[in-house]
Amino acid sequence: MAARLLRLWALYAYLDGMWIARDFRSFIFYYLADAVTAVASVAGVLLLAQRFDGIPPWTRDQVLFLLGFGMVARFVPDMMGNYNVLHISRRIGRGQLDHILVQPQPVWMALLTEGFAPFWGLLSLAPGVGLMVWAGQRMGLEATPSWLLAFALNLAGASAALMAYAALWGFAAFFQPRAAEEISGSAVDLLTDLKGFPLDALGPGLRTALLTVIPAGLMAWYPCRALLGLDHGIAALWVTPAAAVALCCAACLMFRMGMRRYAQVGSSRYTSFGHRR
Amino acid sequence: MHRSDRADIPASGIVVECRAVCKTFRQRQPSERPRDVLRNLLHPRFRTVEALRDVSFTVNRGEVVAYAGPNGAGKSTTIKLLSGMLAPTSGSVRVLGIDPVAERTRYVGRIGVVFGQRTELWWDHPVAASYEWKRVVWDIPRERFERMCGVAREILGVGETWNTLARELSLGQRMRADLGMAMLHEPEILFLDEPTLGLDVLAKRSMTRLVRQLSATGSVTVMVTSHDMNELEQLAGRVIFIESGSLAYDGDFAGLRREFGDLRRLVLETDDATAPTLPGAELVGSQGMRHEYRLRGAGADVAALSAGAGEQCRVLDVETHRAPIDEVIAGIYEHWGRQRPTGTA
Repeated sequence: MAARLLRLWALYAYLDGMWIARDFRSFIFYYLADAVTAVASVAGVLLLAQRFDGIPPWTRDQVLFLLGFGMVARFVPDMMGNYNVLHISRRIGRGQLDHILVQPQPVWMALLTEGFAPFWGLLSLAPGVGLMVWAGQRMGLEATPSWLLAFALNLAGASAALMAYAALWGFAAFFQPRAAEEISGSAVDLLTDLKGFPLDALGPGLRTALLTVIPAGLMAWYPCRALLGLDHGIAALWVTPAAAVALCCAACLMFRMGMRRYAQVGSSRYTSFGHRR
Repeated sequence: MHRSDRADIPASGIVVECRAVCKTFRQRQPSERPRDVLRNLLHPRFRTVEALRDVSFTVNRGEVVAYAGPNGAGKSTTIKLLSGMLAPTSGSVRVLGIDPVAERTRYVGRIGVVFGQRTELWWDHPVAASYEWKRVVWDIPRERFERMCGVAREILGVGETWNTLARELSLGQRMRADLGMAMLHEPEILFLDEPTLGLDVLAKRSMTRLVRQLSATGSVTVMVTSHDMNELEQLAGRVIFIESGSLAYDGDFAGLRREFGDLRRLVLETDDATAPTLPGAELVGSQGMRHEYRLRGAGADVAALSAGAGEQCRVLDVETHRAPIDEVIAGIYEHWGRQRPTGTA
């Protein structure tokens, strides 16, 4: 199974590379537009942090680290979720799941691989990594092996939480294909729009809500608090990965329920819009 | 997977088996009256639509079967049931001895499905890239892949669009590329749902040629739905007709003509622009001094009709031929339409 997954990822990476490099002008403009988008997405908080020398209790460098972390955590779902895999409600709502059902592989395997586009959005990764490295150096952050492991776990957890949250809502399209067609996108926006903000100033009720019902805090704020030592105790390092696992389990459950329903009612609507394009 | 690995049923055996298949859907029936808004929200009304009602049939290996019926008769629902996308409400569906829904991943590697209005091609990639994608996902051995690419190039003319982006293909080119792609893994059964919808004559002809070539080998079973009955008659030796979800006819096209009226045409060329009146023949139309009549049944006495025309004017030429199958089908649809009670699904 692992060999097949790797083969499929290699195939989709090849398709993505071919698409990006189809002609020189597209190549340049594509990455240029991507770079502008990436800078614009962090500009607001970056300027605030610069103007006020941080957003208490976060120092300016910690805010920069948080922004970088958020960008990289957002890159992974984008890299894995092309062709509306991340926006799965579109596929279900538009009746495009049928295309997966005629493939001789489990649906989860198709979804896990089909959206893989490592070259897409690559420029949003570079500023994110750059910000984290620069901020880390300014803070004198010591990247020990255990810290790097905790960092990788939290980054994977933040990315997985976003994907699972989008899927959890997206699978609602199994039950209401038309009304819920765009719900995955809304769920993604809900988390990513708030990912760059330190949420410390909020009351405990709101903060709890932003870690559970709308887990935007898991995208960068909570894992960075744990990684940068703003939250003492080793347990804090496990919160984001554990929450991601819980969200993934809930998404799997919803997926199974949805697939059972899909086998009974299918999709009465079909539009090719967005399919493999 | 090699063909020999997959042949776990006899070469001449039944490959498709539908037994008393029913498929029902619930359809929301909201009221349009403003005062019913609350009721629509809290107590919506539904009606049950029987898309398929007690449908039973079998298909043997190597057969080419036309699956026909008017819009909404249940053709696409049947294709979805047979290709593992839908489960029946009751009854059983087995294809190649497999339950298509329960064992979907094992099953779909042995079938090919083409929907006329859907494409499996990657929109922003050349046709060649989509074929390569299929090779990897379906795990097709290189030798088979190369051979079937050759078939697609030779018979369907895919070679000329091999390096063209899918989004730049015409509808005909796209459908040919899709059909070629569906054949790459050498499916044992091919389900074609309206494959020629919107295609021009040449594109239809190349599709027909491929299906005929496949059926000639006897190794591929084909089930094809279409509204173009002339095309189906050319393709298939057998036709299954469904109407309002029920099986209405299962047999050959000659039998269909016999059962639902063997319409024939009589064309008279006379020296008069006024068409002669012929008892037992209905005038379809006149073009100058050429008059076309519709006859019912093979037993119509053409000689007597010609003689009758000769009494009214001078007959220069007489020709008869079978009415197009489309006309037979139109007659059947009209007949069913009259029989169907108003308001039923």
